[in-house]
Amino acid sequence: MKRSRWRVATEADVHLIVAESYKALEALGARPVQAAKFTTAVSELARNILKYADRGYIEFVELVEDNRVGMRAEVTDKGPGIADIELALADSYSSSGTLGLGLPGVRRLAHRFEIESEVGKGTRVLIEMWVR
Amino acid sequence: MSFTAMDLHSPDTASLLKVYGIGDAEIETLHAWKAHLEGGGFERVVADFYTWLQRQPEYEEFIDNPETERRLRRLQTTHLVSLVSGEFDDRYFSNRTRVGEVHARIGLPLHSYHGAMNHLCLCMLRQLPPDVDPLGATVTLLRVLHLDTALVALAYSRYANDRVAAQSKALLEMSTPVTEIWRGVLLLPIVGIIDSGRAQDIMTGALTKISSSRARVFIMDISGVAVVDTAVANYLIKVTRATRLMGCECIVSGVSPAIAETIVELGIDVGTIVTTGTLMQALVLAFDRVGLSVEQSGRAG
Repeated sequence: MKRSRWRVATEADVHLIVAESYKALEALGARPVQAAKFTTAVSELARNILKYADRGYIEFVELVEDNRVGMRAEVTDKGPGIADIELALADSYSSSGTLGLGLPGVRRLAHRFEIESEVGKGTRVLIEMWVR
Repeated sequence: MSFTAMDLHSPDTASLLKVYGIGDAEIETLHAWKAHLEGGGFERVVADFYTWLQRQPEYEEFIDNPETERRLRRLQTTHLVSLVSGEFDDRYFSNRTRVGEVHARIGLPLHSYHGAMNHLCLCMLRQLPPDVDPLGATVTLLRVLHLDTALVALAYSRYANDRVAAQSKALLEMSTPVTEIWRGVLLLPIVGIIDSGRAQDIMTGALTKISSSRARVFIMDISGVAVVDTAVANYLIKVTRATRLMGCECIVSGVSPAIAETIVELGIDVGTIVTTGTLMQALVLAFDRVGLSVEQSGRAG
């Protein structure tokens, strides 16, 4: 099982991670739309770290099952956390003055979406995408 | 205690001394060394070091005349004195950082620098003070030299990072070529990544060109953009709004099927932005806006 962990602290980190994520999906045999969806979700989550938590980490894990392969991204930060996850997952909600959209969009883009957050402790988001 | 690469780029003196285990006992040992080396000892260490250095391939490339060598020997003697004086203050640290920058700038490989420090360690051990515990003194010297080399290595990596950042900035500045492809029609092909800095460049470049050319249509072709997330979409929306305020219609072309589907799933409302799948469709629209039509001339095809 292949695994890689990246720090997210600057816009340049996000660019690198987005490019690597796209390449990794292509290498797994993903169609362009699958690569675009997963990578866009990763990009949203990485930018959220910069916007709210200052810094965090993304870990990619290649998923292999009997008849399918995929990719998981686990995004963690020790930022302020999300007080109301339900609200953050509702469309058009944003606590930072930009188009909210991020989290509900990410949830729609991925095949599996999990979120855990504790105020003052941080946030952990997990997404998975199966490619074939 | 946890460290990240970011913290290490600006470490503070106290935490570094703690990590490298340099305290009062170590500084006392260094002072014994200093007392022992005063009166010609420092010069002997440096001479010993240069006997070795002159046999290294880097010597000929980087030390090309006797005056340079004399100057470097003097600097090294001064460094050794300050090393065993144990005054590891901000001045010492910024001094080592500068040394690292100088070496990085001339392109001396880091392993050559580190190898030389490794040999310098041996030259110092050959001048061990007589009345100290040899093992304790060796450990102290290793700690201090490792710290010293770490500061230089940090300066190397910072220099490399700065250079990459400067290069990509220069590259990005050249990458927003807004071109007037027909009277009243501007085209900007965007390739690669759109971040906040580049978005600002695009905005400024487009508005300036619209103002000077009095263009009525501005085509932004994003077929070279792999990922359109909400941040990028926001940038694009802002550019189209600003161009419209200047009386110029904006068309976003090159929206691939993958990007179209992703934008819909993300839930971005592109509102009244005019988008097309291909640049050709955008051109047809643009010509129509400025009152032109493209016809087959009959001579070719």
